[in-house]
Amino acid sequence: MKNTLLDMYRKDGTKKVLASLISIFAGLVLGSIIAVIVGLTGNPQSFSTQSIFDGIRLIFGGLFSTGRGAQGQLTFGFNPSNWGNMFFRAVPIMMTGLSVAVAFKTGLFNIGTPGQFLMGTMGTLYVALSIPTTVVPAWLVWLLAFLAGTLLGAIWGAIPGLLKATRGVNEVLACIMTNWIAGNLVYMFFKANTQLQCPPETGKTGYIMVTAENGVATSKMGLDKLLPGSQVNGGIIIAIVIAIGVYVLMNKTTLGYQLKACGANRHAARYAGIKDKRNIVLSMAIAGALAASGASLYFLSGNAEFAWTKIYQSLPEEGFNGIPVALLATNHPIGVIFSSIFMSMLNINGQMLQNLTSYNKHLSDIIIAAIVYLSSFSLLIKMLLSKKKKEKAAPAPEPAKEEAKAAQAEETAAPEETAGDSADAEEG
Amino acid sequence: MNSEYIIEMLNIRKEFPGIVANDDITLQLRKGEIHALLGENGAGKSTLMSVLFGLYQPEAGVIKKNGQVVKINNPNDATALEIGMVHQHFKLVDVFTVMDNIILGAEDSKLGFLQRKKARKKVEELSKRYNLNVDLDAKVEDISVGMQQRTEILKMLYRDNEILIFDEPTAVLTPQEIDELMEIMRGFAKEGKSILFITHKLNEIMAVADRVSVLRKGKYIGTVETKNTTKQELSNMMVGRPVQLEVQKAPSNPGEVVLSVQGLTVPSKLHKNNAVKGVSFQVRKGEIVCIAGIDGNGQSELVYGLTGLEKASGGKVTLCGKDISKASIRGRANAGMSHIPEDRHKHGLVLDFTLEQNLVLQDFQDERFQKLGFINSGAIREYSEKLIEQFDVRSGQGAVTAARSMSGGNQQKAIIARELDRNKELIIAVQPTRGLDVGAIEYIHGQLVAQRDAGKAVLLVSLELDEVMNLSDRILVMYEGEIVGELDPKKTTVQELGLYMAGAKRDNEQEV
Repeated sequence: MKNTLLDMYRKDGTKKVLASLISIFAGLVLGSIIAVIVGLTGNPQSFSTQSIFDGIRLIFGGLFSTGRGAQGQLTFGFNPSNWGNMFFRAVPIMMTGLSVAVAFKTGLFNIGTPGQFLMGTMGTLYVALSIPTTVVPAWLVWLLAFLAGTLLGAIWGAIPGLLKATRGVNEVLACIMTNWIAGNLVYMFFKANTQLQCPPETGKTGYIMVTAENGVATSKMGLDKLLPGSQVNGGIIIAIVIAIGVYVLMNKTTLGYQLKACGANRHAARYAGIKDKRNIVLSMAIAGALAASGASLYFLSGNAEFAWTKIYQSLPEEGFNGIPVALLATNHPIGVIFSSIFMSMLNINGQMLQNLTSYNKHLSDIIIAAIVYLSSFSLLIKMLLSKKKKEKAAPAPEPAKEEAKAAQAEETAAPEETAGDSADAEEG
Repeated sequence: MNSEYIIEMLNIRKEFPGIVANDDITLQLRKGEIHALLGENGAGKSTLMSVLFGLYQPEAGVIKKNGQVVKINNPNDATALEIGMVHQHFKLVDVFTVMDNIILGAEDSKLGFLQRKKARKKVEELSKRYNLNVDLDAKVEDISVGMQQRTEILKMLYRDNEILIFDEPTAVLTPQEIDELMEIMRGFAKEGKSILFITHKLNEIMAVADRVSVLRKGKYIGTVETKNTTKQELSNMMVGRPVQLEVQKAPSNPGEVVLSVQGLTVPSKLHKNNAVKGVSFQVRKGEIVCIAGIDGNGQSELVYGLTGLEKASGGKVTLCGKDISKASIRGRANAGMSHIPEDRHKHGLVLDFTLEQNLVLQDFQDERFQKLGFINSGAIREYSEKLIEQFDVRSGQGAVTAARSMSGGNQQKAIIARELDRNKELIIAVQPTRGLDVGAIEYIHGQLVAQRDAGKAVLLVSLELDEVMNLSDRILVMYEGEIVGELDPKKTTVQELGLYMAGAKRDNEQEV
């Protein structure tokens, strides 16, 4: 029993998960410390010892909050609306997280997710609101809208890919530029297409109509029965299926193998006859399609409104949030499912904090920032975990085996562990 | 002070997590002797030298200088004890002049101003005394490797070092330069300086060293006087079993032409001239043709042009009767070409992939390993285990070992396993034994000869003269992008080959 546990601990995957969990916990603790400081220094009328305690409880367990009881005490339990909204908000960042993770696995840093997300928004909303459901069945419109958004995102992602493959332009620079081009392009597009804007009589100026206006909305797939009173819909299921699909693509197919080979060592890939340039473009196109499909799923939910008037000033946060989601998941597609839901939970916790105490909901942004900061150290934490393991494993090898072990270690571990010898081993 | 030895390292033990790199090693250096330290890769030579240089602290054992126990905590302590080292990879600032590099770190200054004149006088004296010709005002990036090495040597002399460590100094030199270096080393010994010479080349030890200490797998095997030993005995001590130093092969029996190259021209990435200038030659079935030459004379580019890694600007390449001049990299591979690349880390392996993933790097799209684009991981595992077994590739976790964590020799074996098992008509092997130890070299040479005997055409590119002379059936010498001569290894000498390689001699008519 102890051995199987130890084996599990030695597994690389376990260490990755542990590293992420440690950063999450540290982030939450930091959030609590800030809550204490704010509570102690804030207006004594808003903060009592009890309210500080409440704040900390909500930071950790806001998801389970069911409001306040008759005596004003916090009550906890299963809150379906919180759960449903958590899943609903997880969808777009799950997709942008996948986008960043896929690019990263193939050696590219896709910081162009906001732009791709916007292009997806544009394509999806235009198609969903323009094809009358009286002529074309709503499910078909949904599908066309989804594909239109995804395709636009793929094209948008392929542009930095093309620039990198053919002209050697750093993809980060190209992505930042295409982000702002997308911001202005989409703004101009919606400004010109006044028929898509919410009519003035609704009082919602600056918003694009929800797709439900046209009868187009993602099926709830029964989730609304499970989690009543929330915005949840089938998008979360589609997103999870896509994430699993991405995992299969990256790990079980020759295409994924090629993409990863190009990312890990472009020269070796070329040497083996893999078309490196094509694969760079393809990686970015896939990443773009994923980010854009996040927008498609989000806005096809039927009840998400798109505020278009400010996008040339500030890019959608769903795009950038893909980066921490991917980081926390150490770029593993299945990990992205959990990390995006977790990020979304923190968001809900922040909301509950704001609703039920005098704290501001942006405290959860600080927590997310701290976790992201720490999770970029996840590699370091992983290394520390490995080191600890080695220290434990090192003492008292059996004398008889020592020689064999040393010999084997010379063969295998020499370049890694004896820095001096590795130079020796590599070139003579 | 009356100790016989200037430096003694007694019972040194150095451990790293999981392995003992140095286990009870004793090394005693006499004043004025040239002492060689011999061992395979990973035998612990570099670790031992790092201990002497203060980079590592030993777990046990003492270091004595002139019989007095000394403590070396960092390289500065080593310098204070007059220990100097020429590293295998030179530690020079490329954009500085030779002079500035020599005084770097030991600058003599007055009120913060450099005293260049005084320093220069000293360096000039040293360079005259030891016959070390360097242009002191040239930038390091502009001078030859041999001169860079002399710069490193002058650096040691300028610091008045008495104990000089040379870490694999001949790896980068031409035969003529090696002779010169040997002469310089003898000169030092005559002047009373003591030299530690790290190498795994037996010829050089026999030529220059007084005594040899042999390490194997972190253990001290023994010290012998060079005049009382033979190359064979040394290599047996080093490897721990009898080693075949000479390649055993029957006379070649060339058949039909497999590779035919006509007027191949490949542009250079470094300068405006062509790196390969209209080269023509043929390789036939059942022969090993070796391209010899000093590094940087167009051999790499020739291979890039043949394999398609770079576009040729002219010429025609025919493989098995098929014109592949315009074919893609994969097209060429499929037409019958295997390629053991020069740089195993850059081209040969994806270091972040596992061993099994690397073993199918060329053939992953083969029907054996995939179905409708889905990888058949079971088949890949089975295939890898077969290759690992057959080619004796050793690694920590077998097929799933990360390629990065494998030793250089086993990485190279993995590449060779992959390329030879593809069973192609032509095998292009570029420096296949670079940086490997005697045991691995023996194995790889045997494999290449076996391929030749199986009727394959082998094109070998090598910088190692021993390898060129031993392994090839025909030698083509490349100099400045051209083939300047064809030699028969049985009829030529290393000296003659060296003249061709240095461009001092060439065949009048180029026809191969």
